[in-house]
Amino acid sequence: MSGVRLIVARCEVRYSGRLDALLPEALRLLMIKSDGSVMVHADTGGFKPQNWMTPPTVIELERGGVPVPDEVASGYPDLGGVRTVTDARAAAAAVGLAPEEPTPAERAAADQAAAAAAAVVDEPLSKIVVRKRAGSTEDRLDIVISEVVSDVFHDMGEAAALEKSGVERELQELLADAPHHCGEGFRLVRREWPTDIGPVDLMCRDEDDGWVAVEIKRVGTIDAVEQLSRYLERMKDDPGMADIKGVLAAQSVKPQARVLAESRGLGWVEVDLDVLRGDREPALKLFDL
Amino acid sequence: MKLHTAAQDLLGHLQSLSRIASGRLANPTLSGVQIAATGDGIELRATDLQVGLRIKLEGDVERPGTVVLPARLLLDITRQAPGPRVTLELRTEEQDVEVTAGSAVFHLRTLRGEDFPPLPEPSGAAGVDVSAAAFVATTAKVVRSAAKDDTRPLLACVLVRAEGEVLTMVATDSYRLSEKKTTLESPLEGSFEANVPARVMQELERLVPASGAESLTVARGENQVLFTVGEHVLSSRLVDGTFPQYRSLIPETFDHELRVSTSELREVVSRVSLLAQKAAALSLAFSEGELVVSAQTQDVGEAREALPVPFHGEAFAIGFNPEYLRDGLDTIDGDEVLLRLTSPIRPGLLQTTDDQGFLYLIMPIRLNS
Repeated sequence: MSGVRLIVARCEVRYSGRLDALLPEALRLLMIKSDGSVMVHADTGGFKPQNWMTPPTVIELERGGVPVPDEVASGYPDLGGVRTVTDARAAAAAVGLAPEEPTPAERAAADQAAAAAAAVVDEPLSKIVVRKRAGSTEDRLDIVISEVVSDVFHDMGEAAALEKSGVERELQELLADAPHHCGEGFRLVRREWPTDIGPVDLMCRDEDDGWVAVEIKRVGTIDAVEQLSRYLERMKDDPGMADIKGVLAAQSVKPQARVLAESRGLGWVEVDLDVLRGDREPALKLFDL
Repeated sequence: MKLHTAAQDLLGHLQSLSRIASGRLANPTLSGVQIAATGDGIELRATDLQVGLRIKLEGDVERPGTVVLPARLLLDITRQAPGPRVTLELRTEEQDVEVTAGSAVFHLRTLRGEDFPPLPEPSGAAGVDVSAAAFVATTAKVVRSAAKDDTRPLLACVLVRAEGEVLTMVATDSYRLSEKKTTLESPLEGSFEANVPARVMQELERLVPASGAESLTVARGENQVLFTVGEHVLSSRLVDGTFPQYRSLIPETFDHELRVSTSELREVVSRVSLLAQKAAALSLAFSEGELVVSAQTQDVGEAREALPVPFHGEAFAIGFNPEYLRDGLDTIDGDEVLLRLTSPIRPGLLQTTDDQGFLYLIMPIRLNS
């Protein structure tokens, strides 16, 4: 079940990481999505958030100045199976850091924190910390809340997500059956190849038996290139996949995404859904370049 | 800097320059036009780092200097200038330029002049002089066949080759191909071959008539080409790579060859194409003595029209992209077009019936049976 948390609060937002930035205290809308995205919106400035963090993130909450590690940051609090990363250890595992067994002292501290959290459950939210690993450093949003005006969860249901990904799902199924549309000589190894930051749509072997990760989108954007780059970065940690290549396959690939993909040595290909479905023969060409 | 010039002259030049200046690049100065006023006169410049254009502007320089102003805005101001003369004066302290036209006064903030890159000088490379009219006429025959997007940069180019008395241009987007060979009135002193971006060739098509130049000079450097047209210099980076070996794509023989009235076929194709929407194909069904052109678009409608043609043999139907077929017919000079076809999945050829050195190869679209 997917859910979004909307918090209207008077808050100060401090970003630290590649640079430092401060949004002074003001009334803002905080949007926390179940995929770990966090956005800070104002009532002005158009559609773009004033600050944001893309997944995977670690989100930690405080009420009355006390950490509440059991509180879900997003999703639907009364339902199981919500992907919410509120525990640093789980988050570390999610981004590929080796989890460590807690020491007795750590266990005692955790128990103490849990007891304190239970005591402050009626306190208003006072702080949200969003952390994200960025290479060897960490990006961090510190949201210090002085007043909560509204704090609600919304169940977004499954239909919206399914509708959005319907074409992508079909593309994935069709390209899995005909991976040569992603590149000459490609052979499918597996759909939904698991990585510790999410599954790669198609894992293939090319003509030279090299690994190729294929990310499939309806529209290939810069974000899609970033996503594919993240997968490749993770998979290259495996010595057997050090030379893995990446291909972005989409019905249309934005010019900026093409440039970014090529600058990173990634391939991209536009695929025709009608041709893949067999509704239309591929266009006849004088030659292929 | 202070200069005076005719509003119409400035407007004409800014229209060309604003097509080159780009507001989509990281360097905002490239959305501007550089105005250089010196003792030698006035020069306007624009570039998007791929293509550069320098144009001489008639006018009086009262005080030399160089500024960069937003190209589109200056174009709009000049277009609406109330008087015949325009004065541009740099106000150094205010970091703006005062544009005066009649009683209208504008103050335009300047863009960072130091971010405007130097453009290549025409004197740097030896050039070949070509008849401007022949060059432009040859361009017009082929340039529409170049790819419209930059996905494959080589296909968004025109192959330009000049040697001896022959100027050859070729363009293809892989679905159709145009080749035009023009015999020049006098042999060239030198030769060149280059893959020139189609948009540069289209800009030349506009510049030549505007300049009134009778010849243009083509100078090829290591990675760029310069076209000098009168007082204008258009430069472009060359596209790397080898142009497709296109000669082998042109079949030597065809099963069917028929001469058809160019204007009649063009009009029929144009009419019936109205109902070939949403990437629908235009069907050409040949039977004994007749050609039926038809189109069908789901949820929109159908159209068909017949015309007599000297076709003999087994009937067959072939589909074409209506736009590509129209483009081909539009570039045929002559009362009759020679249609050369083999089968519904083999390329067709459109040629003039006399030897004008032009051919248009077009790949069919599969028709739904």
